[in-house]
Amino acid sequence: MIALDVRGLPPPEPFEQIMLALETLIKDDVLRVLIHREPYPLYEMLRESGYRHQTTALPDGNFSIEIGRAS
Amino acid sequence: MSTAMLSTEQAPPITVPLRFFAMAPLFLLLAAAILATGNSFTDAPLLLAVTHCLTLGFITMVMAGAMQQILPVVIGSPMPASKSIAWLTLLPMSTGTLSLAGGFLYSNPALLYAACLILGFGFLIFISACLIAIYRAAARTSTQFALLLAILTLTITATLGIILANGYASGTALDYSKLTAAHISMGLGGWVILLIAGVSYQVVPMFQLTPNYPGWFSSGFAPALFVVLLLGLVARWWDVISLGYLSAGLFWMLAVSFAIITLRLQSQRRRRVADATLSFFRLGMSSLLCVALLSTLALYPPLQEDLTTLSVVIFITGFALSVIFGMLYKIVPFLVWFHLFRGGVKKGVPNMKSIIPEVWMWRHVQLHRATLLAILTASIWNPARWLAITGLALQSILLSYALFTAITIYQRTLKNLTNA
Repeated sequence: MIALDVRGLPPPEPFEQIMLALETLIKDDVLRVLIHREPYPLYEMLRESGYRHQTTALPDGNFSIEIGRAS
Repeated sequence: MSTAMLSTEQAPPITVPLRFFAMAPLFLLLAAAILATGNSFTDAPLLLAVTHCLTLGFITMVMAGAMQQILPVVIGSPMPASKSIAWLTLLPMSTGTLSLAGGFLYSNPALLYAACLILGFGFLIFISACLIAIYRAAARTSTQFALLLAILTLTITATLGIILANGYASGTALDYSKLTAAHISMGLGGWVILLIAGVSYQVVPMFQLTPNYPGWFSSGFAPALFVVLLLGLVARWWDVISLGYLSAGLFWMLAVSFAIITLRLQSQRRRRVADATLSFFRLGMSSLLCVALLSTLALYPPLQEDLTTLSVVIFITGFALSVIFGMLYKIVPFLVWFHLFRGGVKKGVPNMKSIIPEVWMWRHVQLHRATLLAILTASIWNPARWLAITGLALQSILLSYALFTAITIYQRTLKNLTNA
């Protein structure tokens, strides 16, 4: 699992960093992103690019998103 | 712990919000042109026409476009049939506002009747589409509730506006003073403040890198303001003077708390770099504080008439326009970048900061400050109105130029990416 922390970055840096990190994913790798808000537009981008994701709201107000290739 | 739902529908195409944003500055220009035809800012038909060019043609036009984008981004629920809804809202809103302004300016009943029908239809479509999107949203957030209450106050404002315009057109005997006061308080105090607050809960922390609004405030502000506005309506309608003072006091306490909390959060931002959007927001919040002071002084009867009009003018031009300009300069570059970037990393997508040059935004900040100063001066020295009119017209041209530059960059880059 690859971890990426984009908490506190201004738009569009979280998107850019997540999409760049996804370019490096090997077949079954999963990218775990820590982000300070729920990024609805990212979900659409992921779907269009052939990725699946699962989002978990953390008790501290941040979100953890696990992203992998759609099978 | 909870697992978020996948957003099942796509965000609207970029053309949906951009059409509204591109149309809106034309109404700023029209407002300036109408002002130029009069001898002073106090001519009633002229003032009504100009006010509606600003509130309907500019403020509501931008907000309607922004709403189409905010709903999917912030609450994960887009409007149904966004392209059709956009046209069915944009066309009635533009033609209806023109008809209404013409009706006021020329005291023409046919234009006023036409405006009621066209605007009534447009608002019915827009409000229904917003309510469907808010109802469908999986998330239950304070922003969503503030947006819902903003839409409810818009419904009341539009209904009162249609009753008033119909009354003027037909010469029906109505209690115009009470209805007008209710129309203004619901429109400016409800629709404008609630929508700006709902959007600020997201935009201020997201783009200005401030801490989040305190939970107690973001969950309590919109419902409290809505209840206070309803109390104000009851007090005005049944002439309950003590309740009127109480609701006015509570309303301004809430508005002041929104301005102060926003300014305080901005003073705690993580990246302390100068930013035109931040300056627009600060100007807007300072204007809201100034309006609160003037409105309180206006409770003293000898000052009431002059200060009430001045309060409304500063609310519209100082608070609402400033915040909306600031939001546009963040939202438009982000939308252009987002729609070019979607689908993955591509070479040739411009940096978000280069889409509308920062220097133009700063020129707009300075021009807006100068225009506000001219408006204030014109309230005591009439010739200064020419500076205000010129300032308003130049702002319209500058904003249009900035927006069309962003649209051109989008189209050119998209063409290059498609051909690559």
